[in-house]
Amino acid sequence: MKGNINTVSFILNGQRKTFNVEPGEKLLALLRREGCRGTKYGCGQGTCGACTVLLDGRAVYACLLFAMQAEGREVRTIESVGTFENPGEFQKELVAAGAVQCGYCIPGIVMSATALMKTEKDFDEGIVKEYMDGNLCRCTGYEKIWVALRRVLDRKAAEKPAPKAAKTSGKGAKQ
Amino acid sequence: MTREEVNVQKITGYVFPKSLKEARDVLRKLGPKGMPLAGGTALHFLPDKPLGTVVDITRLGLSYIRQEGGFFAIGAATPLSDIQRYRGPRWAMHEICRRISTHQIRNVSTIGGNICRVFPWADLPVVLLAMNARMMVYNGGKKDEEVPADDFFASQPARRFAGGDLLTAVKIPVLKAGHGFGSVKANLTAAAFSLVTVAALLELKDERIRAVRAAAGSAIPFPRRLPSVEAALLGKEAVPEVFRAAAAKAGDDVKWCRQEGMSAGYIHDLAEVSLVDAFERAAEFARGRKD
Repeated sequence: MKGNINTVSFILNGQRKTFNVEPGEKLLALLRREGCRGTKYGCGQGTCGACTVLLDGRAVYACLLFAMQAEGREVRTIESVGTFENPGEFQKELVAAGAVQCGYCIPGIVMSATALMKTEKDFDEGIVKEYMDGNLCRCTGYEKIWVALRRVLDRKAAEKPAPKAAKTSGKGAKQ
Repeated sequence: MTREEVNVQKITGYVFPKSLKEARDVLRKLGPKGMPLAGGTALHFLPDKPLGTVVDITRLGLSYIRQEGGFFAIGAATPLSDIQRYRGPRWAMHEICRRISTHQIRNVSTIGGNICRVFPWADLPVVLLAMNARMMVYNGGKKDEEVPADDFFASQPARRFAGGDLLTAVKIPVLKAGHGFGSVKANLTAAAFSLVTVAALLELKDERIRAVRAAAGSAIPFPRRLPSVEAALLGKEAVPEVFRAAAAKAGDDVKWCRQEGMSAGYIHDLAEVSLVDAFERAAEFARGRKD
């Protein structure tokens, strides 16, 4: 520690990086000044979800974390999910569904959905709502965002191998 | 809160201690200029308060949930989302944790942070009072001090930790056959702070209430038990009319405050209805899960 400046090291979108930070600097401020400007400043008090990023795979509000709390951990931002030229699967569906109006909330929504898809095996409505209830959208009324998300989740569910049928008879089967 | 206040808060240092002893030593040395941090989400609501040096206790192995004999032990730095997802025999903590704020906050906020500095809206102190939980406090000795919930929440717990002591775990009794637990949080939207939180633990035998603990919070200045309500239930039959009569006694124990544009009278009615609901849930739990 040098004066009131600390160093913090963590894996940012797959690359280990070290930054100088003030002890009280928020993770959101650090990410934005380091170029991850897809992570949005919204309410600044953990309500709107525009600043959602993944910390060790879990969705968190970057505005409610000190940058130092990321020490030694893995941070993923929207920049790791897709680009304008090569958008991620959910991003494509959001566009296809016409779900993006002002678009300010969308990076946070995509990150919450990313946490959902990476963590959960079943996408029943209760689980999906739980993951998405920390992200507000003031334009769309959520309907088209939900349609886009459901398309991706239904596709993922369909891709999963069907459970093996229990053997009840046949050669070698116990009677 | 301005954008500048959000970007950088008044913290002069940030420390990662390597052990509980080191954390306590650092906090003792810093005195009022030191601040333990578990999840830290609540600190962001104090933008004007100089927080001094933050002592991060999240790397000390305090994040776990395990059954130890007749108790579930929850490490002080366990995130609320882990408590929400955990399942154990006759486990009841997940319901209230699912109702606390949003998914993103539950991934960071910890049980220790929620109860060591009690904010008016905190839900867990109410639940832990009703459950007769024990708080394990590291005070530099070989063995943690065990503090019953009634003592821990007798006043603001943050004062207990001013000398550098640290909460290490919360122990919750495993509910026995015939015991049931119910909690109700009333709020305006799913992620909003609580208007009223109530919780009840009932022990039933032959449909009579043999033991009871009831507590309330949010709509009163500080979470507390409801002795008049408990007295009105003890020895009675576990039926709706008894629950309603007992809930009506809550006004003898506490004075309900107005909340978020709701009058004190409305909050009073809301609290009574919520208490009846909590008793019914606890009785149902006690009857239906006698494993």
